[in-house]
Formats: sequence, structure tokens, C-alpha cells
Amino acid sequence: MEPAVRLEEQTILQDIVMILQEMTSDWDTGFIGGIGPETRLVHDLGCESIDVVQFVVAIEERFKRRNLPIEKLLMVDDRYVDDLRVAEVVAFLHRHLST
Amino acid sequence: MPRTLLIGLDGATFRILDPLMADGVMPFLRTFIAGGVRAGLLSTINPVTPPAWTTVMTGRSPGHHGVFDFVRAEERHGEVYFTLYDARDIDCETIWTIVSRHGMKVTSLNFPMMYPHPDISGFVIPGLTSWRHLKLGTRPPELYERLRQLDGLDFKQMAWDFELGKKVVYGVEPEEVESWVRFHIQRENHWFTVARYLMEHDPCDLTAVLWDGPDKLFHICWRFLDPEYMPGAPTEWERTIRDLCLEYFRRLDSYLADLVTLAGPAAQTIIVSDHGFGPSTEELHLNTWLAEQGYLTWRAPRSDEEVNSASWKRRLKSNFVLLDWRCTKAYARTSSSNGIYIRRQQAPDDGGVPESEYESFRDELIRRLHGIVHPVTGERIIKKVLTREQAYPGPHSASAPDLTLVLRDSGFISIRHRAPALQLRAEVSGTHCPEGIFLAAGPGVARGATLDTLSIIDVAPAVLHSLGLAVPEDLEGRVPIEMFDSAWANSRAVRIGAATRWPSDGSAVAVDEVPDDPAGEAAIFERLKSLGYLE
Repeated sequence: MEPAVRLEEQTILQDIVMILQEMTSDWDTGFIGGIGPETRLVHDLGCESIDVVQFVVAIEERFKRRNLPIEKLLMVDDRYVDDLRVAEVVAFLHRHLST
Repeated sequence: MPRTLLIGLDGATFRILDPLMADGVMPFLRTFIAGGVRAGLLSTINPVTPPAWTTVMTGRSPGHHGVFDFVRAEERHGEVYFTLYDARDIDCETIWTIVSRHGMKVTSLNFPMMYPHPDISGFVIPGLTSWRHLKLGTRPPELYERLRQLDGLDFKQMAWDFELGKKVVYGVEPEEVESWVRFHIQRENHWFTVARYLMEHDPCDLTAVLWDGPDKLFHICWRFLDPEYMPGAPTEWERTIRDLCLEYFRRLDSYLADLVTLAGPAAQTIIVSDHGFGPSTEELHLNTWLAEQGYLTWRAPRSDEEVNSASWKRRLKSNFVLLDWRCTKAYARTSSSNGIYIRRQQAPDDGGVPESEYESFRDELIRRLHGIVHPVTGERIIKKVLTREQAYPGPHSASAPDLTLVLRDSGFISIRHRAPALQLRAEVSGTHCPEGIFLAAGPGVARGATLDTLSIIDVAPAVLHSLGLAVPEDLEGRVPIEMFDSAWANSRAVRIGAATRWPSDGSAVAVDEVPDDPAGEAAIFERLKSLGYLE
């Protein structure tokens, strides 16, 4: 069972990386290196609030799911987080896409 | 060449356009109106871009299409989670997909709520979308790369800038006004370039393009455009700004002329605005008033660490409300909604309003709102307070604000934490008004007629009829048949067709020649009458 779970997370990671690559392809972020699990949306890719909103839309479109409990990803202890790593997004989706 | 050209001029009002035409600034528009029809166009109950343009695109009122504002918010786990309305929130079919499934092609440029783009036959570039997301929002994807090759086209200038958008609400410093107008002159040129390119290279049956610059200039430059407020002895700077504003409208006039010419003599052109504009001289800080009345408690930062956090600064900058939700019973989420939300009690220790007390709470709040008066004149500031059932009847009524306010100047409330609650503006600014414009010209359109005021829900039926299509039976408006000359009207009876389709049924691009049912038309007409859709 364990390899299957890892494969699923890997698939989600590939999708998320693809979304971010498409989204940021002409942003001139100055970010060097490929997008991966440790890439941070704000610090590395220069995402602003509106970009995070659109990133969520792109995720929902890609996975054909609306109304994912995104606030659980964006808010911790009733506060909006300052930044997000790709790995955190992947882990969140892995938890919630099957529910 | 298109059969129908639909042009949107966000916020356009005869109050400004008439003097501009009379002064020779917009000669094409003057000729266009002389050869066609004009009418006032009543907007949605809260005359603001997202619900109003969505009504233009769907022929449905906000209680039915489900879009009420720019920002959508949900209270979750004691916090309010904000996001934006987008195309997926439109719970009705748009004219773009209706036209597509009748085998016709559509170009839709700069209309809001079009991201993610709908599945249509033709071309979409969404409005209210930042340049960073314009590529993903463009349909078909290769169009973006084609346009990138056009000389001088700058997506960064063409797309929506959310930071600049905030200035519409909170104002522009005097030293920024000139660059504000110049920016919009350039921005409109980019949309014109795209519209012209597509009309020349990939003509569609319906070409629709929206210019939102009139709204942006009216908000910031009202005193340079409204003859009633123009400075009597203008300074050099004021003359410069006025001249630049006139230059904006001269260019807009030339874009209209060029697109109508490109559309050719066989096309009908319909020009509409989503709302009108007028002067505003006062500002109501509604959340401040709600706090004074004990309905709302502002949230303080919980620690120094939070004060210094990026998220706290971001939220302060975003002008989104920062409230202590457990001690708040009623609050305004956004300026543009003109609405008050009443928090329902979620748990016994929650400070919201218990379900059993909702009606009496709401009635008391309405009574107190009517008591807000001008400190000097004693005149009421709020013209109407509407419950959600009154303002937004329909299946989405429950998502609307509990109360919708109509201010006496038709303007917007402020949600800022500022005192006093009612403040006079240092200078007049422009604000939205209910009555916008409807213009039409072309073969079959009556010449030189001024029609009675139309409703914004009539635009979609007018466009579909202009294209020779039946009007789906569930559209709420009517074809303003008086806009056509008698020969056209007699030769093309309005046909009522099958109801619109659920947007998510995946069949929007399929060619679908739904046979109209002339025999059933009378029965449908009677049904619409009984539902109050037709008079």
C-alpha cells in the first residue's frame, strides 16, 4: 500500500509543479532552479495574494474539485500563513482529494 | 464579418457623454446616435461591475446568476476566508455559450468573471484578470502567443492591475492623476488593437469588447468632466488634466468608429454600460457606525509578532475587514457590495445573532440605519435599506448580503476604520449611479429615436435577437423591439426558445440547432407574463 500512496503524492506533485510552471512562465521572477517540493510561493516565485487565489483556482480546475477546505492550508491558528512550500500544498491535496 | 457588435463602456453616462458629443469630442458617437437609438439603461440593484456585467452576459438578475460582488467570503472556523468571484460562480448560461451552441463564433474581450474561461466557440480574453494570469485565461491558448507578436501590445498594461484597482476606491494623489489618465489611454488602445486584429483575421458572428476606462476616469477625474463641477478658473494643472481626459474620449470615439466600420454595413452595433455615474460628496464609514452602535468589534493584533507579520500587513493593506468575529453581529465586508452581513450564531458562546432573533434584529438594524442623518442638514443619508429577499430574489438570495443599502448619492459605503462615521469628501468624486446607457445602430435599427429607459436584463435578449436567435424562455428580460424599425420588427418576430442550459453540462460548444416552436410561443409568452417577466 505504501508505494501506492507515495505514487499518488508524486502525481500530485507533478501536477502542481506543472501548474506553477505554466502560471509563472513569463513572470520574470528571477527564481533560479526548477520548481520542486521546497519552492516557496511568495519568497521564491514572488506570488502576491491575488496569485495565490488564482493558483487555488488552477488547482481546483486541474483536479476538478471545488470548495476544497483551502482555509486549512492558508490559515494556521486563525492566521493567514506568510508563505507556502509546494510540499505543503501537495500534502494538503493528498489529504483532501480523496475525501 | 460579425452580425452583431456588442461594445461595453463601463460606467458610461449621458451626463458626461452628451456634453462631450456637443463639444465635438466624440463626433462618431454623435453620428452613431443620430442614426440609431438611445435609452437609459437601469442597472442591477447594486450597480457595480461584477453583478451588472454578469447580468448583461446572462440576461439574469444577481439572485439568479449568483454573482454579487468582486469578493466572495465564507466564514469558516471563526475566521472569514476571502476569495474572488470567478466564472465558476455564474450559475446561468452566458450569451457566449448560447451563441456558440447555435453554431456561431464569439469573441469576448475584457468581460469580467470570464476566468477560468468558458468553453465557447471562439476567443476569450478575460477582464479583471492580472497580466500574470492572462495567459492561462486566454482561449484558445495559442491566441496569447499570436497576440504577443503584435507590435506594441503590452499585456502588463492591458490586463487588470489589482493595486491600481484599489485606487478607484481610495483615490489617487494629485501628482498621480496625469499618469492615471495616460495609463488608461494606453490601456484602451491595447484592447482596441486586439479587437481589431481578431475582427480582421478571425471574424466572429458576435464580437464583444469592453472598455473599462470610462469608469476609471469618472471615479478619479469627475470634477474635470462634469460641467457642474468643473473649475471656473482652472489652474494650468487642471487644464492639463481636463485636456488629457478629453484626449481619452477622443481616442475612445475613434476606436468605436473603427470597430463599427470594420464590422461592416450589415452588422448591428449595441453599446451599453453596466451602470451610470454621478457625483459623490460624502463618505459613510459603515463599519465605524456599526461599531458605535455596538454591532461590531474591531480585532486588535494578538501579539507584537502578529503586528509585524507579513500576513497582518497584507490584510491591512488589502482593506479587508479585520474584526473580532465572536463579538460581531453585523458588518460590511466590502465597499462595493453596499451590503451588511448579519452573523448567525454558530455555537452558544458565539456572539452572532441566534436564529430565533434574526428577524427582530434585522428590523431594528434597518430602523437605526434610517436614522443616520447629515449632521448639518439633518437629511437622511440612506435612501433605501433592502433585505436580501427584496434586493436579490432567486435561488442565490441566501448568498447575498442580509441588507443592501442604497445611499442618497447612489455611491458606495466605506469599510475603513475611520471616524467620524459620516465624512464629507474634500473634493467631489465620481460614483456609480443606477442609470447607464443603451445605444444601437445598424440595418433595421430605428433612426434617431430616444426610447424609454430599458433594464440591463434586456441586453442579452437584444443581442440574441440581433443575431437571429430565439430568446431562451428563462431569460428575465425582453427584446426591446422598439429599438428596431417597423420593417425589421415585422420581418423578424421575437422567438422564445428552449431554456438555457446548466453551464456545467459540457455541451456548450456542441452545435445545437434547437428547433424553435412557433406553435408553443403563445403559451410560453403567457407563462412569462404570469411569472412577471413580461408586461
